[in-house]
Formats: sequence, C-alpha cells, structure tokens
Amino acid sequence: MRGKVKVSADKPTNHTSSARLLLNVAEELKVPFLQIARKAEIGQITAKPELSTIQVAAETALNLLENYTLGVRMSLEGYETNLEPVSVPAVLYDTSTRLRALAKSYGVSLELSIAGRYGPVMANKAGLEAALVSLGAALIEALPAQGAGQLKLHLASHRSPAGVVAGLYGQNKQISSEVLKNGRKLQNSSRQPLTNISHTSGAGIFVADALLDAMDLNLHSSRHQGLYGLGIVLKPSRQLELV
Amino acid sequence: MSHILLIEPDRILAETYAQALTNAGHTVSPCSGAQIAIMSADQQKPDLVILEIQLIEHSGIEFLYEFRSYSDWRDIPVIVHSFVPSSEFISNKNIMQNQLGVIYYLEKHHTRLKDLLAKVNSTLLVKS
Repeated sequence: MRGKVKVSADKPTNHTSSARLLLNVAEELKVPFLQIARKAEIGQITAKPELSTIQVAAETALNLLENYTLGVRMSLEGYETNLEPVSVPAVLYDTSTRLRALAKSYGVSLELSIAGRYGPVMANKAGLEAALVSLGAALIEALPAQGAGQLKLHLASHRSPAGVVAGLYGQNKQISSEVLKNGRKLQNSSRQPLTNISHTSGAGIFVADALLDAMDLNLHSSRHQGLYGLGIVLKPSRQLELV
Repeated sequence: MSHILLIEPDRILAETYAQALTNAGHTVSPCSGAQIAIMSADQQKPDLVILEIQLIEHSGIEFLYEFRSYSDWRDIPVIVHSFVPSSEFISNKNIMQNQLGVIYYLEKHHTRLKDLLAKVNSTLLVKS
C-alpha cells in the first residue's frame, strides 16, 4: 500500500493531479492572507484592529497547510500503522470544536447532530478529522456566497446500508454527485472547478478528497434529514462492536 | 456621497472593503453574488460597481453582460477587483473596456485599500 495511487473513474490520476492540488492550495491561501493584510490595513486606518478575525484567518491558512501536508504524508508513507478504533460522534465533536471560530467569523451556525448509537470504526483518527475539518472550512467559507437563506451547516452522522456516514450538510441543493464529479474533472483545468459550491479553488474539498483517497475512503454527495451535503462512508468494525 | 454596489463573495473581505468605503464617505451595498446584485441595483441605482469575477453560479462576466443589457445601467462605471489575473483577459481587453464598461481591472491581492479608494474616487470624479 506504500505510495499507492488509486485509480478511479472520475479522479485525475497522473502526477499533474498532485501539482494541481498544490496549485489549488496556493490559490486558496491567497484568501486568508488577503484577509489578514486588509484587516491589518483597515486596523491602522481606524486604530481598531480586529485581532480575532486576523487570528481566525491565520489559523484557517495553517489548518489548510497542515491538512494538505498530512494528506501528502499519508499518501507517501501509508496509514495502516495508525489505524485505531474511532468513535464517529467523537470525531464529529472534535471537528465542530476546530471549526467553531471560523464558522462564527463567517456568521455560519454550526450544528452537531450525532444522535444514534454506532459502534466504533477502524480508521486513522487524525486523517479522518483533518478531512472533515478541511471539508467543513471550505463549505463554511462558501456558504455566505451561495446566497442561501439560512447560514447553517450540520455536522452529522447517520447509518446507511453501506455503513456509518459522517459529513456536513446544508440547504444547498447544488451539492450533488454530478457537481462533485465535474469538479474533480475540472480541477486540472479550471481556476474555480466547483462553481456551484465554491467561489474559490475549492482546495478544502480537494484536500479532503486527497486525505480520504490516502485512506482508501471516498467523499460522496449525501443527504441527511432533507439536507444536502458531502459525506464519508465508514465501515463499522463488527469485532469491536462485540467487545 | 456616492452609492457603491460591492460584489464580493468572501464575507470577511466584503466587510473590510465596505468598512473602508464607508469610512471614505460612500454608502455601500455589499452583495455576495450576481443575482442578488442585480436585485440590489434595481432597488437603488449605484454610482459605481466594484466586482469580483469569481462568483458562485453566475460569474462576474455574466453579471456584466446582464447589467449592461439594461439601458439605465449602461453608463455606470465598473471596477473589476478580482483574484483572477488581468492577463487572463488580455485577448478580451477591448470587450471589457468598451463593451462592458470596465474602467479599471485591479488584481485584489496587489491592491491595497488606499489604492482601491483612490481608483474609486477618481472614477467617481470623472463621472460627476
């Protein structure tokens, strides 16, 4: 499994895809850096610097870099040695904690829906959480730009025939398998591959994709209680359920 | 005092630009997308539009074509203020300037607030 390159019908597979992901990340980083630069500038004019917004922007940039580098490391070095029993609600709770400040900064209400009892799944906790944080940050930043009535995102889990699904959900009907598939195709050629979801390069979504790919998992379009979103299907561990 | 339609999808940046423009004595209608911007312009005719090209669903270029299709709005100056480098529109420079009425094309990451305000004020001065 070391350095494994997974072949999938709708994902770019050659070495240009890693270069493209790096380009996506670099383009995406311009946003928080510009926020910092302009907030600092207006702070000098008004003598009231918004330090908390500057801090959130800096942390958003750091998170994106950290998640990207983790994905690259996992892809290069393999992840099997770090598999552990993981509680999906606990991962969602930790993800919501990490996203709370960004959501507040963008005026987005983040709700945690982790009702229901699931057994643990065998997963790489750090990788799974990084993928959800990366995905969540991308969706939070895009939500006000979608012209949605309600600025609300749900971090939720539910059972499906395929396993336990953990994901992020909102009211944007544009989130679909087709949009995700087209976005992955356009990632190699477009500055804004997910035009129905994000006004940026959508790097957060593609970094989540890369992290999940390195763990032999996939990001899917998914529904949760009438909401639209993106989720990850995790297989429950039968053995751990018996313990 | 001039009224500015600010089309900026990023909420944090929109707040910052709106604050700078308001401090400079303008009124600002911030809009996150093209459709809402058309509705906003319909409610209160702007003296100037500041436009990001990368928007969700309808691009800034699509907005410009629709905006210019209404006779009332044909003479309203537009400043493009975008992450998209101007070099990507080099072959369409004439269309941007002459057909779509783009007065300035500013690359967002190279434009400080004071430079944006200077371009806004000079554009409004010429218009008046």
